[in-house]
Amino acid sequence: MEIDPEEAKQAVLEYCLRKGALAAGVADLGALERIAPPGHRPSDLMPKVKSVISLGVGGQTQGAWSVPAKAMGYFGSTETRAYTIAYGAAFFIESKYQKPSIYCPPDMDNEKGPRVPLQSLKLHAEVAGIGARSLAGDILLHPEFGYMYFASIFTELELPPDQPMAENPCPAPSCVSMYRQIGRTPCQKFCPVQCLSGHIDEAGKQAEMHYDMAACAEMSQQYEAVPAMLAEAMAAEDDQAREEALFDPDNKMLWYKMSVGSGGLLAQCFECMRVCPIATQSPMADPIRRAIAKTDA
Amino acid sequence: MARGLNRRQIGVTSAMIDSYGELIFQWSHNIQTRRGDPVRELDFEAISAQRHELGLSDGQIAERIGLSEIQVMYIRAMMERRRFNTTRFARLLELGGGKRFREERFMAHEDRFHYHDDALALRDAMTFDPARTRHYGEQGWWADGTLSGWLARHASERPEAPAIIQGGEVLNYAQLAARVDTLAGGLHGLGLGPGDVIAVQLPNLTEYLLSYLAIARLGAVMTTLYMPHREREFETLLGHSRARAIICLSDAGGFAAAECALNLDLPKLQSVIAVGAAAPGAVAFADLADGSPSADQMKLPCPVAADPFLLLYTSGTTASPKAVPHNSHTMLGNARLGVGEHLLGPDDILLSAPPFGHLFALYSFHMAMSAGAANLLLPSFTPPALAATIEAGGATVLLAAPAHMAACLGMGLFEAHDCSSLKLAILSGSAVREEMARAVAAKLPDCAITQLWGMTETQGGLYTRPGDGIEIAAASAGRPAPGAEARIAGDGELQVRGSMLFPGYFDNPDANKSAFTEDGWFRSGDLAAEDGEGNIAITGRIKDIINRGGVKYNPREIEDLLDSHPGIAQSAIVPMPDEVLGERACCFAVATDPGIDLESLCQYLLGHGIAKTKLPERLVLVDEMPLTPTRKIIKGRLSLPLED
Repeated sequence: MEIDPEEAKQAVLEYCLRKGALAAGVADLGALERIAPPGHRPSDLMPKVKSVISLGVGGQTQGAWSVPAKAMGYFGSTETRAYTIAYGAAFFIESKYQKPSIYCPPDMDNEKGPRVPLQSLKLHAEVAGIGARSLAGDILLHPEFGYMYFASIFTELELPPDQPMAENPCPAPSCVSMYRQIGRTPCQKFCPVQCLSGHIDEAGKQAEMHYDMAACAEMSQQYEAVPAMLAEAMAAEDDQAREEALFDPDNKMLWYKMSVGSGGLLAQCFECMRVCPIATQSPMADPIRRAIAKTDA
Repeated sequence: MARGLNRRQIGVTSAMIDSYGELIFQWSHNIQTRRGDPVRELDFEAISAQRHELGLSDGQIAERIGLSEIQVMYIRAMMERRRFNTTRFARLLELGGGKRFREERFMAHEDRFHYHDDALALRDAMTFDPARTRHYGEQGWWADGTLSGWLARHASERPEAPAIIQGGEVLNYAQLAARVDTLAGGLHGLGLGPGDVIAVQLPNLTEYLLSYLAIARLGAVMTTLYMPHREREFETLLGHSRARAIICLSDAGGFAAAECALNLDLPKLQSVIAVGAAAPGAVAFADLADGSPSADQMKLPCPVAADPFLLLYTSGTTASPKAVPHNSHTMLGNARLGVGEHLLGPDDILLSAPPFGHLFALYSFHMAMSAGAANLLLPSFTPPALAATIEAGGATVLLAAPAHMAACLGMGLFEAHDCSSLKLAILSGSAVREEMARAVAAKLPDCAITQLWGMTETQGGLYTRPGDGIEIAAASAGRPAPGAEARIAGDGELQVRGSMLFPGYFDNPDANKSAFTEDGWFRSGDLAAEDGEGNIAITGRIKDIINRGGVKYNPREIEDLLDSHPGIAQSAIVPMPDEVLGERACCFAVATDPGIDLESLCQYLLGHGIAKTKLPERLVLVDEMPLTPTRKIIKGRLSLPLED
């Protein structure tokens, strides 16, 4: 079967957009292989991979920004929608082009601990040109769609790669202005654990980005809390201290998260995105505006 | 049991974790630094150059420092576990929906809810019977009212309404709330916080109420010192209460109170706050009240009604002082319920003749705060000052002790001043003589006279109501307050219980053993009689009973007669030990006639129908009686001189 790579690429990307992706692109596999560390390269996961397709879906609904952080932390993520599209796209490629494909597992590398992913979906998206690293802990931003959740498809179908975005929308002009005045951007100023810092250069571009991921994770990903609780209970001096170590309100909350779920552990608290003009005010970041644009079109 | 990797298996030692841990943590994804935008620009050279700053994988770290990947992973996991801090989640709880995080406004969970051990010990003393707690809650006698909550409500709903009037200066509720907020912030700045005991020794000045409200806003606990208290009382009461600060005058009429407090050997007393002139070593009240970030700005948590907020010492008329803790449930619930019973409203102006160091005066303040009424201040009692303040301030409600009223009556001040603004006078603090109550009623015809019985342990326990009329008010202390119950025991003792009752003396198990009956009623120590209509009259004190050879009698009636003797200004009869009879009666008296003697007094009493067995058998003339702030005689301090 003769396959025109350009046509195939267009068909796959159109499939993704039709199914709800806001943006999609093909990453340069060679670049990914050079940048990703050993064990996390695309070929480590799929030895015969020829192309990595990245797609992004929108973040929260517009109303989500007005709810308290503790609620938004639980329902703000929309990544499962992206995985569904990626899963469909992998099927689409296999059925249309008979080329083995997978949707890239978004999970952590279970041999390396809870904060080490198998693959960096962020790297795929950035190299595929559908997002650029921001001062907000390298969360990818898009000038048109704000911030998105990403999923990737690995396939043995060879597709021509896209280029990374020519310009980084971060920092936005208003953020540069604020930085000039107080030395911090909104995301840096309003982070609840102050895990963000960095500098903007004379040209208004990112010079340095510092991200204390450990501090961020302490708030949102509390993997260490339960064993710590058990250790404290085992070392308790008396019954009352043991009871408190296991059942005080904070600890009961953790048990609940671990056992029932309640949305699981947070991925992030969204405060940096809540104050980010790109995330919230980009033309198509807002689902309501997207709908109006669609209707007008 | 299966176990995961252990360090011995992979050759990791504690020393290795200590040596490499920080480096591994910094090089790992836990701390990330990016310079420029190298990935987007596919600048592979730059990516390579700053690889370790962008966050290395465990394998990459292992290669760089010569450990195995599994060793790096183990050490990284241990470092993450050691540095992990579970309290960060709390930062999220108040964010979103327009609220933004500000480091300078953030207060860590542990700071926000930190109690000292002493504060926890006091909270431990607030133990109530669970069944009664439930009953009080269900009846609505215990609710959520706190002084700071009431103040905030009035400041919001009636900001311009007068809250404190002192010497013609009026502080409205909005101004009062702002000043209290600032002072509370100032106290917080001194390291004072929820549950800490702060003593106050001040006259009835605006500063007193600012202090009280600021202490309450902080969630701290106020303990009061009477103005006559000196070094000995300071040491005893501040030590017993574990006070961490005291607010007092730098110069209390010749007594350098602040200096005295500074010189005390009380390690827990960390701050002395001086009102008035500067006192070396003391914090100036004015600095705290004017220049501090406010409690609201600092988002200091507001107290709740279950928090202890007052630690008062009994007037000590019979024994060494006992510490009485109260929370807003007991004390403010009683005041709130009293507002309706006394027919008070937001337009009233309440004036207390006793000092705020005494609970009767605080009762006035509590009711005013509940109603949103005004507090008219009398800095220091003299009969002319009281009458002039009523007239000038237009007081509508007066709370006074019988001695205050008797003094005004004696000087003809109710005629000399226009006291027609008064609609209610509540008499309490010591026994009310019937004739005196009637005389006051006669002088203030448009003012309802009521009588109230209360103790530090109960606040307003019994009282007559404004509609009862003078016949009932002159002869009794009325009926139980809402939420209170009263009974008269077989020996004539008044016993009470209810939502207003304190939980027990702080740090005084012996006193608690004797203070309550087995079924939970509080023994008041007062003798009482009921008139058949539910009105209870206080007839004396159990401890004042004279037991003369087995014949017991209450000396109250004799004291009332002696007080009406033209040669006697004030009298008190106390038992004196006797080898034969056990006890005999001794009369202490302040005489207006220096020639007065025991014989003539006995003839006077006999002439008024007093039995011979009840006559005093010794007379001791004194220049003045030891008095409580409500001018009740402290009989325990009357010591018998040696016989001539």
